[in-house]
Amino acid sequence: MQGTLLLTKAEIIRLRRNRRFLIFTIALPVVLYLIFAKQKATAYGVSFEAFYMVGMASFGAFSGAFNNNTIRISQERKDGWIRQLRLTPLPANAYVVAKIISSMVTTVPSIVIVLLLGRFYAGVHLEAWKWVAIGVTIWLGTLIFAALAVAVGYTFNPDSVQPVALVIYFFFVIFGGLWFPLSGGLKKFGEFTPTYQVVRISTDVVGSGAVSVAAVVGIAVWLVIFLSLATVAVRATAETV
Amino acid sequence: MNRLVRGDVMSQEYASAPAGAHAGTQATATGTAHDGAAHTGASVVSFESVTKNYGNLRAVDGLSLNLWPGETVALLGPNGAGKSTSLDMLLALRKPTGGRIRMFGSDPYHAIKSGRVGAMLQSGGLMPEVTVRELVTLVAGLHPRPIPVETTLKRAGIAGFADQRVDRLSGGQTQRVRFALAIAGDSELIVLDEPTTAMDVETRRLFWANMKVEVAEGRTLLFATHYLEEADQAADRILVINRGRLLADGTPAEIKARAGAKRLSFRLDPVDEPFLLGLPGLVNLEVRHDLVQIQSTDSDATLYALLDAGYRPREIEVGSLGLEQAFLAITAEDDRANGDAHTGEAV
Repeated sequence: MQGTLLLTKAEIIRLRRNRRFLIFTIALPVVLYLIFAKQKATAYGVSFEAFYMVGMASFGAFSGAFNNNTIRISQERKDGWIRQLRLTPLPANAYVVAKIISSMVTTVPSIVIVLLLGRFYAGVHLEAWKWVAIGVTIWLGTLIFAALAVAVGYTFNPDSVQPVALVIYFFFVIFGGLWFPLSGGLKKFGEFTPTYQVVRISTDVVGSGAVSVAAVVGIAVWLVIFLSLATVAVRATAETV
Repeated sequence: MNRLVRGDVMSQEYASAPAGAHAGTQATATGTAHDGAAHTGASVVSFESVTKNYGNLRAVDGLSLNLWPGETVALLGPNGAGKSTSLDMLLALRKPTGGRIRMFGSDPYHAIKSGRVGAMLQSGGLMPEVTVRELVTLVAGLHPRPIPVETTLKRAGIAGFADQRVDRLSGGQTQRVRFALAIAGDSELIVLDEPTTAMDVETRRLFWANMKVEVAEGRTLLFATHYLEEADQAADRILVINRGRLLADGTPAEIKARAGAKRLSFRLDPVDEPFLLGLPGLVNLEVRHDLVQIQSTDSDATLYALLDAGYRPREIEVGSLGLEQAFLAITAEDDRANGDAHTGEAV
């Protein structure tokens, strides 16, 4: 476990140095929020400011956990860094565990900053437990996307991973309604995405405080699916990594 | 204990006693020459009839060998001989199709997880975006009893660029960082796959000088290499493999002797081939017009027998075969035996 933590620490150092990572997880959601948050509208039964706060926090967390990890994992698999780690006393799963933990650590600031903007810039007022609940919900969503990133990173080579990751990324961003609220047919379709469910649980907390059981079950199902895919992908490469 | 002092004392011992400890006087193709009585204690590594198939292709074919504590062993073979596959299996990156590999008396995976092995693979990559020092510190920290990071940096000759980022190094520098990762854990066994590829001559010389210090501390070293002179100079034992099988196992001197270490050439008129083929020590005979070329394990005996039979050859030249010719002779012989004309184009 100590070795896994050392690796996690190194991963966090790397992420902090990565400008692309900082732009997509922190700068972009913050800028978008400052530009678009203040609108006289409602979405999913809450004010637009509150919806957009949840959307942007999820967007930053999703970008941080997914975008960056897929490409890195694929590249590090090809470069042989994963092989090199297998020659050390690190437990076999340490690489994947360190990626997921480091993602979950580094997405915290982006979630917190957007929530702070919601409170102090856009004037969203919530009870204390609701702030905690939406923060934790979005943060746990990071786990789902990190698992997906592992599955994709282990399945595709560096040549093909970028377009694949981009398609998956925009699919979940747009059909999950992270940038704008879904309605009509788009909503019927997008309701199934994990990104939508993270947003929906959070806006339910903001609004009525009563969370839809379907969304919670849906998110659990996605977590199981992505973790299974990740496990299968990692196992499939056990001989070639 | 002061490591460097100990290293200095022992490196002399290393230099003077490479081959003596081994049992075999005649290299054999079965790898049994080095087993048994001459070695007290357990082997560091053992392959027992190990095979590896990729589909229909047999990459490793019944490989059996032992590595003993403190040995420096070179693994030589042409491309596709099964070197990398063998090292991969040894390092628990691939599973053997058949047979058994033991390392420190347990399976390789557990030996590696207990930190007793340090390895450098050709295919081993480095973590980008961190500095050399950060990377070495990380890998050292993964081992139970690491060498101090500054010592590792110095030994690998990378202290000068320790604060540069790993992704901004030259090929030779990268190779030295990989080496640093292999020694950072103070492991008992070090495995290196073509360690000096991409190094210039001077760096390569430094590399082996540092390596001798590592080995002098009692470590066991197994390395695969492209450079035969490296095997000749650095190893006290050479394993020649071809087509996934062990062809020869012995000291560099034994390997050369096995292939017929001396080359004898002269002119003779007329040439009596059946007689020449019966000469003592003869391993290989080539005749072109009146020019005769012989590879012999004992050039003196060969020449005396020729003279004793009343022949008076002209322009007699006797020379030594290098390890490279010996190696090519051994693998070519094996390829001929297997009915394959394509021989030792690369090592």
